[in-house]
Order: sequence, then structure tokens, then C-alpha cells
Amino acid sequence: MKKREVDLRTAGKNIINQLGVVLRTGHLHDIDNVAVIDAIVKFLNLLTPLTEAEGSLRIDIIGEFFYINDSRVRYPLEYMLNFDYLLREFQKRELGTVIFESQLRIDDLKAFLKVFINATYSSTPYEAMETSLESIQNIRIDKLKKIKEDGDIDQRRIVKKTYFNAVSFTEGVMNKLKAGEKVNMKVAKRVVESMVDLILSEEQLLIGMTAIKDYDEYTYHHSVNVSVLSIAIGQKIGLSRKALTELGLVALFHDIGKMEIPKEILNKPTAFTEEEWRVIKRHPYWGARTILKLKGIDRTSIRSAVVAFEHHLNYDYSGYPKVRYPIRLDFYSRVLTIADQYDAMTSSRVYARVPLAPDRALSIMMERAGTQLDPILSKFFVNMVGVYPVGSLVLLDTREMGLVYECNPLFADRPRVMIIVDSAGKKTAGFITDLTEKDPAGEYLKSIVKTLDPNKYRINLAEYLL
Amino acid sequence: MTLSQDVKDTIQELIKAKKNLRIYPENNPVYARTINNIYSRMTTILDSSGSLSLKIKQHDIFLEGEAVYHSDEKEENLALFFFKDGIRELTFKRGLPKNEMEDFLRILSVDFEREVLDDDIVTLMWEKDFQFIHYIVDDSILLEDETYEERAVEKAKKASNNNEGILNAYEDAFGLEKESVLNVVPITDEDLGTIILEIENDPPDKSITMIHLLFEMLSYAEGMGEYKELTGFISSTLEFAINLGNLEAAVYTLKKIEHSAAEDIYGKDADVCLKELKNFINSAKFVKLLGEILDEGVEFNEELLHEFASLLDKRAIPSFIHILGELRNAPARKAIIIILSELGKKDIPSIAKGLHDRRWYVVRNIICILRQIGDTSAVEYLSRAVRHPDRRVKKEAIRTLGVMGTGSVLPVLKDCLSDTDELVRLAAVRAIGLIGTPVSKKIILDRITDKSFRDKNYNEKKEFYEVLAKWKDSDVISLLIRSLKRKTLFKRAKNTEIRAAAAHGLGIIGTEESLDILMKLRNSKNKLLRENIQTAIKRITDEKKRS
Repeated sequence: MKKREVDLRTAGKNIINQLGVVLRTGHLHDIDNVAVIDAIVKFLNLLTPLTEAEGSLRIDIIGEFFYINDSRVRYPLEYMLNFDYLLREFQKRELGTVIFESQLRIDDLKAFLKVFINATYSSTPYEAMETSLESIQNIRIDKLKKIKEDGDIDQRRIVKKTYFNAVSFTEGVMNKLKAGEKVNMKVAKRVVESMVDLILSEEQLLIGMTAIKDYDEYTYHHSVNVSVLSIAIGQKIGLSRKALTELGLVALFHDIGKMEIPKEILNKPTAFTEEEWRVIKRHPYWGARTILKLKGIDRTSIRSAVVAFEHHLNYDYSGYPKVRYPIRLDFYSRVLTIADQYDAMTSSRVYARVPLAPDRALSIMMERAGTQLDPILSKFFVNMVGVYPVGSLVLLDTREMGLVYECNPLFADRPRVMIIVDSAGKKTAGFITDLTEKDPAGEYLKSIVKTLDPNKYRINLAEYLL
Repeated sequence: MTLSQDVKDTIQELIKAKKNLRIYPENNPVYARTINNIYSRMTTILDSSGSLSLKIKQHDIFLEGEAVYHSDEKEENLALFFFKDGIRELTFKRGLPKNEMEDFLRILSVDFEREVLDDDIVTLMWEKDFQFIHYIVDDSILLEDETYEERAVEKAKKASNNNEGILNAYEDAFGLEKESVLNVVPITDEDLGTIILEIENDPPDKSITMIHLLFEMLSYAEGMGEYKELTGFISSTLEFAINLGNLEAAVYTLKKIEHSAAEDIYGKDADVCLKELKNFINSAKFVKLLGEILDEGVEFNEELLHEFASLLDKRAIPSFIHILGELRNAPARKAIIIILSELGKKDIPSIAKGLHDRRWYVVRNIICILRQIGDTSAVEYLSRAVRHPDRRVKKEAIRTLGVMGTGSVLPVLKDCLSDTDELVRLAAVRAIGLIGTPVSKKIILDRITDKSFRDKNYNEKKEFYEVLAKWKDSDVISLLIRSLKRKTLFKRAKNTEIRAAAAHGLGIIGTEESLDILMKLRNSKNKLLRENIQTAIKRITDEKKRS
């Protein structure tokens, strides 16, 4: 019993990886090709001890993660290519669950592979698979589920609590620094760890918190937003939990140099003079110095200082502060620059009163990919926040208008939307609709036809999303 | 035994384990025994009850409402140990693997009072991501301001939505042009591969990047205070880097300092601070740090050590000589010798001061260093070192004089031929041979032809003839042949040794004219003579075949 539990945990990643290998090989070669048979045999060898012990083995996709018999499988870096491939292929077919029974044979897997490959040619791939697999006894499938059912009030409460804790902590840090007091790094780590936990389990909810821009204290919220978005990107690219904490921590302190900017400049409602800009542009320099003074030199302070100095440099060094001898930007700096630019563009800052709509900001960022922004990381970011990021104001083909409430990581253009105006043009209390819903004929029930700028109409997201 | 009694006992064992794991290293049997004991107790409990949930209070640990541990102490209070960081419940689940138990015990054994850590128990447990040990944490200790959320939400919602705005948006929406949807470019395998490589190759030590940026920051510094602060950060980063075994950071810094001075990048004030930074890298403190890390077993490649040393100032020499005598392991000493061999080129007298060190092994290393440097100005110092009381030092000094010396050192070496220690005398013979001047030859010849030579032991005789064989001229050959042929009535054994040594010498010279005489004597009854003659013949004939 004990051994089996441990084995399940360690074998899970190998099984998922090998299934990826089987499907990839099956796409490349004929099903009876020796390479395909080899891959199937290997898969079967990994699977058999577990199906014998458990009776069957169930693979689920929930959100972006694989689960084997209800245990979440780690996303190991070395298997990332196959994990990601498998995730995409399952998504394409709307396949959410595969159950392998203990009597599984090579021929069953060959038949499954054939059905899996052919399903791509159908307009209703899942249904096509379901029909074809009826004759196979040892493999059962189930459809991809919605990420969550409505009304997950508790989780939302935890997410809010964590988010505001982080903001409150950041404010405390800034105040302590101003007063020349010591900052408790243990607490800082704990704050970030709780954000990492939530990114791993409730990514969309936490990202949703960053979409609300109606707070008083821009700097503190911005720091936390950048931290959340950076962790989310980090999670997407497969960073370990420890690395995610480090990245989140670094992000939390990235703007610490702004403390040195005189308040009258920081809160100036009109455009900055050249001299004021010069002062503003010194904040990365001040930030790096402050961090190094904060707690002396160690791994975290070095990384934080590097990122604080580099976060406005840009991928192509077109930003500031100007440097004499450019070296490749730190990996975390490149992640953070994306998060920072997105949050800044979509926020109403004192010196940039009109924020951009999320989808507009995203378009601009895609134009900057490869120049100001790391091209590959930008891709990851867009895939993460979706075509319509949280907070986008959208018009549906049902003549309803709503706010994007949660992105769907599996369908970038089909988020969950909170309807705020019904098809009759009446304001509603706000109910959630999932754009992945289909009618019995397999047609989507609702689709986005247009996006609008919520800022232009002074729509307060806090009213709906908090 | 009841479950609560088992748990009480196990908690007591946990307290013992907490201490044991601090005291004993991993390879100690006590360490292993401690882990095994706790693990066995815990698995017994979990096998019978499925899981074990413990509620944590400040002074107590409860199992299903019953106190299984109590302590009013501030120190060594297991309940408080967990409680102070917010842990309120600990659950161990059936299936707990041993490595997870061990990781947990290691966290338990961390001395948070003494060790300067940025992590608390929760963080350490969180990083381990235990699958079979769960914990509930009270995060209220993290709250800076309990009312913050309420206030922030209230303020954010204050700007309530105006119906008008929303309905205007709705109205406008139908008249708007349909915008092209942002095309989400799918992530390719190549993208993933690139990112994986990036993550794998992202070095954990960012010291050099930090130093690079601190130099960039000098351009933005305003006034002496900031220059000092930034160069101080560079010093601290260097210390941090060296502790990680990163010597490249020091090389990088020294190069940057040189470059900055040559290009006059930052101006006078900054230059003053950069000079101080350079002083720091040349200081006893930094050298000691480097020594410590070397002694811990960190190794650097030779090229890097040479580069580092070439960038140092000669004033660092005494510190390096000092730690040369302090280091415990040989690879560490070797690294310092490499550094001093490079650095010493800049100042032979400073290196030579090491010859006066009270520790014989330091003196011997200094002699090696002088030999590696190869500067003939060191000969003067080495000539004095042959009088060192320690035989090992003498030998090294004599050998070095042989390698580096000129005719001028021959009188010193000649004196060494009369040393009471045979090994010293042998070293002197070889050294004289290495110098290889006519005077050297004469010294050797004089000794060989001296009456007292016969009384030397065989090894020494052989050494003299071997050295003499360097000169392959006719008078040497005829002397060797004469020696080989010579017969005496008295002290025949001693004479046979001379003959054997001469045969050995002829074999080295390898001329054909000596082959005849060697062939005639090859069946000598004396074993020593016979073996040497036969070896010499083989040598000559083999050489002949080769040519």
C-alpha cells in the first residue's frame, strides 16, 4: 500500500511523458511501425504495475494539469515538451479523461491511437472518439470538464485575502524602509509562497485580481500585480516552486526605488518635464541600491537588485537607464518586464491617466515582442492571459455585453464572461457564462464579436470582480 | 500501548532527534539510527491509524483533544517551535516515505536562533512540498494591517458604475467596426526547447552580473558617498562569490577596474574608490577568504588562477605566502603556488622573503615557486637556502640551483658535495651536472679522481659517473674505460663498485668504442659488475638498432 502510493507519484510523470511519446510517434509513422510498437510497449510496461495494483488507471486534465488517479502529476522540466504536446492534443479533441483498465493490451492501444489521430478530421472530435472507442473494452474516455463550477466563493475569498495581504505587506515594507527599519524577509517569503500556491491552484482568480485598477495606492498594487503575473508566467514555463517564490519575491521589490522619487513628482497630474523624467528614470538605480542596503548580499538580494536595475532596460536595451556595456538581460528581468509593461499599460497612473484596454495593451505588447520584449516569453504571456484578458469589455453574438471574468487556458478565445447587459439592453446583476458551452449540434452557444474599452466608459471593474 | 502513549513517546523521540541531527553528521551511525527509529515509530502509528493529526498550541500538542506534549519553556519547546511560525496543525499520512521523514527531521533540527536564515519552518516545509506531511498555517501573523482589504475594496468600489456609461458602451458597441482579433501564436516545441535551455542554463550565482551592473551604476552615482557605497557593494558581492567558489568574479572585477582606469570612465572620485576596491582584492582578508574556500576543497582551473594572479598587485604576495603555510590540503597549496608563481614574477625579493619562513614546508614551496618563475635573480637567495637546517629544503634549493643557476653557483654546490647527508650530496652532484659547464665537469672529475671517492657508497659513485656521462667527450670516455678496466689488490669490493658505476656511465654515453671492452667483461663473476655491464651493452645495441 505504502509503496504503491509512492510509486504512483514517481511513475505518473513517466506515464504522461510516454503517452506523449506514443502519440507523437503515432502521428509520424504508420501504426504498425516498429517505433510506434516500441513506444506502446514501453507505455504498457509503465502502466501495467499500476493498473494491476489499482484495478485501473485514470488520467484527467483539470485546468492545465494532468492527474493520475486523482493525484496531480508534477510538471517536470525535462518532460515539458511531451506534457505540453499531450495537453494541446487532448484540448483539440476536447478529451478530458482517459481510463485504462488492467486488462489493457497492445492492440487496444493501437486502436486507441488510430481513433485519437483520426479524431482531428472530425468537426466534433470528442464525439467521434467516443463512438469509435465503444468497441474497445479496456479504454474509456470522458469529455473535458469546465475548469470549475460556478460559485466557488471560498476560493475567491482566499484569493482576495492573499492578494490584499501581499499589497498590505508591500505597503508595510515601503513604510519601514522610509523609516529606516528592517524588513522581515521571512514574512516576505511567506507572502509570496501563498501567492505561488494560488497560482498553482487558482491561477485565473488571482490573475483576475490584477485586472482591477481602481485602487488608491498604485505603487503597492502594481508591485503585487507584477509579482502575480510574473509567477504566472513562471508557472507556465515550468519553473520550480522554489524558483517561482524567488521570482515573485524579486518582482515584489522591483519598484522599490520609486520611494526615492519626490512625492510632488510622483503625484504630478500633468505631464513631466525633462528634468522630472530624468528623476523618474533613476528609480531602477535607486531600487538596486536600496535592495542591497536592505539586507546585505545574498542570492536573493543580488537577483532582486539585478532585476530592479534591469526592469526598464528592455530586451533590446532601448529602455532606461542607459548602460555602457550591455549584457544579456537576466531571465527574471525578461519575465518581469512583460508583467510590468502589461500592468502599467492597463493601469491608471497619475502621469498616464487613461489606461489601455487589456486587449489593446496585449496587441501593443505583441508588436513589441522581439524588440522591447522577449519574443518567446511574450508568446507564453499571451497564451496565458488569452486573447481577451480578464477585465476586457466584450460584446457577444447574442447581443449581450460582458466583462471577461476568467480566461480559459485551454481555449484562449473562449473565456468565462460576466454578463453586465442582457440581450435586451438592460443592465444585469452580473451572471457568469462560459463561452466553451455548445449546443447539441456541437455549435458554440455564444461567441465574442467585438471588444470595447472599459476605461472609456468608466466601468468600474471592482464592482464586478471583487 | 495506547495510541496516545505511542504518540507521546514518538514526540519525545522527535525532541531527541532534533538535537541528534544538529550534533551528528549524516555519515554518523547515530544520525542514521535516529532517522530509522523515528521512521519506524511513525510508520507503526500510521499503519494502525491511517493518519496522525496533531493540533499545535503555544505550550501544548494535542491528539484528538488530549495533550500529548506540554512545555512551559521558551527554549527547546517543540510546541512553540511550530507555533511561533504559525503552524497550528500537523498531519502525517500513511505511506509516508523515509526521505520525507528525514527532510522533516532536518527542518526540525535547524537552529533558527543561531543560523541566519531568510526562511522559517513554514517556508522550509513549503519548499519540500511534502506529500504525506500536511500542515495548517495561521497566516494572520503575516498581516501588516488587518483592515487593509476591507478599506481597499471599499475605496475601489466607491467609484460605482454609472448606468449611463455601461449603457453608452452597449449602444456604441453595435456601431463599432469589428476589430481583428489578436492572433494567439501557439507555442512551438522549439519555443519550449529554448525556454527549457534558458532555465537549465540560468546560473544560480549572479555575482558577475551584479558586479557588471554595479560598475554601470557608477555612471549614475552622485558624489563620493555613492561611489563608496557602490564599490562597497562590489566588495561584498565578491566575498559572496568567493564563498561560492566563484573566482571569475574577482578576475572580472579586476579587469573592470583596469579598464575603467585606462579609459577614465568614471572620473577621479570613482577612481579613488575603485583603487580601494583593488586594495581589498589584494588584501589579507580577501586572500584568507580564498584560502578558506580552497581548503574546503573548491578547485579552480590553472588558467583562471594564472589570470587572477596576473591581475593582482605584488603587495598581495606576503598574504599568499602566509596562507601557504596555513592550508591543510595539497590541491589548495598547489593553487596558491600557481598564484605565487605568476604573481612573483612582479617581485622576486618579496617572494624570496618566504625563504625565511619558520616552516620548512613553506620554504620548500617558495623554492619551487622561484624555480617555476625561473628568474635568475633568485639564485642569490637560493644560494643561501642551501644552508637551511632541513634536508628537504636543502635538496629543493640545490635542485633549483641546478635548474636555474649558472657557473656562479658552482662554488655553493661544490660545498654541498661535502655535506654530511648523502641525499644532499646526491642532489648537489645532479645539480652540478645540470649546470653543465666545463667547471662543472672539472668538479666532478676532481671528485672521481680523488682518493676518498673509492670510499663512497655505490649509489653515490653511480650518481657521479652518471652525471659525468653527460659530457660525451673522449677524455671522459677514456676515464670511464680506465675505471672499468682498473683492478686492485686492496678494497676490491669498493673498486668493483667504481667499475660497475663506470660501466653504467659508458652505457649512457653509448659509444661503440666502449662496446668491445664491455663485451669482454660481460661475464664477470661479480653480480653487480655483470648486471651493469649487460645493461650498458643492451643500451648501446638498442640505440644502434634505433639509429
